[in-house]
Amino acid sequence: MENLASSIIYVGTGIAITLKLLLGGICIGIALGLLMSILRYNGVCRYFINGVISVVRGTPVILQLSFIYFTIPGIFGVKLTAIGAGIITFGLNSSAYVAEILRAGIESIPKGQFEAARTLEIPMVPMWRDIILPQVVRNILPAMVSEVIALLKETALIATIGGMDLMRRSQTLAAERFEYFMPLCIAGAYYYCLVLFIEFVGRKIERSEKYAKGI
Amino acid sequence: MLKVFDIRKQFNEIVVLDSVSFSVKKSDIVGLAGPSGGGKSTLLRCIQKLDTPDSGSIECNGRAGFMFQDFQLFPHLTVLENLTYAPSLKEKKQNCLKHARDMLKNLGIMSKANAYPRDLSGGQKQRVALARSLMIKPDILLCDEPTSGLDVATTTDVVTLLESVCEMGVTMVIASHDLDFLTKISDRIILLNGGKIVVDIQPQRLDNSVDYLKKYY
Repeated sequence: MENLASSIIYVGTGIAITLKLLLGGICIGIALGLLMSILRYNGVCRYFINGVISVVRGTPVILQLSFIYFTIPGIFGVKLTAIGAGIITFGLNSSAYVAEILRAGIESIPKGQFEAARTLEIPMVPMWRDIILPQVVRNILPAMVSEVIALLKETALIATIGGMDLMRRSQTLAAERFEYFMPLCIAGAYYYCLVLFIEFVGRKIERSEKYAKGI
Repeated sequence: MLKVFDIRKQFNEIVVLDSVSFSVKKSDIVGLAGPSGGGKSTLLRCIQKLDTPDSGSIECNGRAGFMFQDFQLFPHLTVLENLTYAPSLKEKKQNCLKHARDMLKNLGIMSKANAYPRDLSGGQKQRVALARSLMIKPDILLCDEPTSGLDVATTTDVVTLLESVCEMGVTMVIASHDLDFLTKISDRIILLNGGKIVVDIQPQRLDNSVDYLKKYY
């Protein structure tokens, strides 16, 4: 019993790193994804952005993580920790998916909404900020929740470059004790609880009056 | 007020507007009649600059308001917010709120001020769309099929509403396939068929203008 409690605490300590990777990744992902989806409307940038999205979506995350962790320090002469490399990788990877989600969300808004804004002489910035994006956000919320969940599970790949997250800690424990069942179940339970929490928050936002109203 | 000169508009191989010319005087109500695909909506969209004609010119003295066939209310904003959002970017919000409340009272939908568009009936959405397009104080109002999908009683209400708008001195161009409605409300009816103006009449001067217009369909 004492053994179980100490295992739960040991693996659970890794939650801080998992959350750091998740939050860092999703912040970069949303910021960069939004920027990419806006730049996509620019003729010249579109080809470049489409190329980046295609490469990011077309290669394994573990390859991207290894590439950034092992080659970037050599190329740019900077020191990169496993967590730093993880945040950059997961952020970049997520941005490609967020950009695609946003594109679908923007395209789901009827052309008439843009035209109505034009006929009411609403300038470009307020139109996007107050008329189009609030509708886009509501439309893409379920897809964004799925993206956050996918990203959370991808953070487990940090274990391959030595980041002491939930996954790595459960592997360390398993290697020390020559017993895999309990450490992996503990890590799995942590991940599952985090996913349930993200789903709960997503549902709360969807049901809140601001999002439930309209259409 | 409005001068349309020799405009032509083509979508791929299809000519939607062909040598269309007419002018509208201030405070006139002009009805645009004609079969579906006759070019009515495209003409309104060109006047509002939502579409650009391939050739010809459109001269509009003053601000144009537009009422969409499918209303295009902003679904995440309440009725009051739909009305006040655009004008409050330029004027004091308090003034816009007062103006919007007066407008809703006049249109008989004050009780729906805090409702969202999805909670409104077709007739109520129609009124909100009309009120919203009037909030920017247009000199000319362009209405695309304002009675489509409305029952007889609501259509009569729309006629009354549009007449009251006209009394405010707003010039109107109304596109509709409903000849009864157009002859009731318009000072002048222009019938478009195949992208060309085929009839330009003043319905009050004819005994049975509906039958007369039907011949050109």
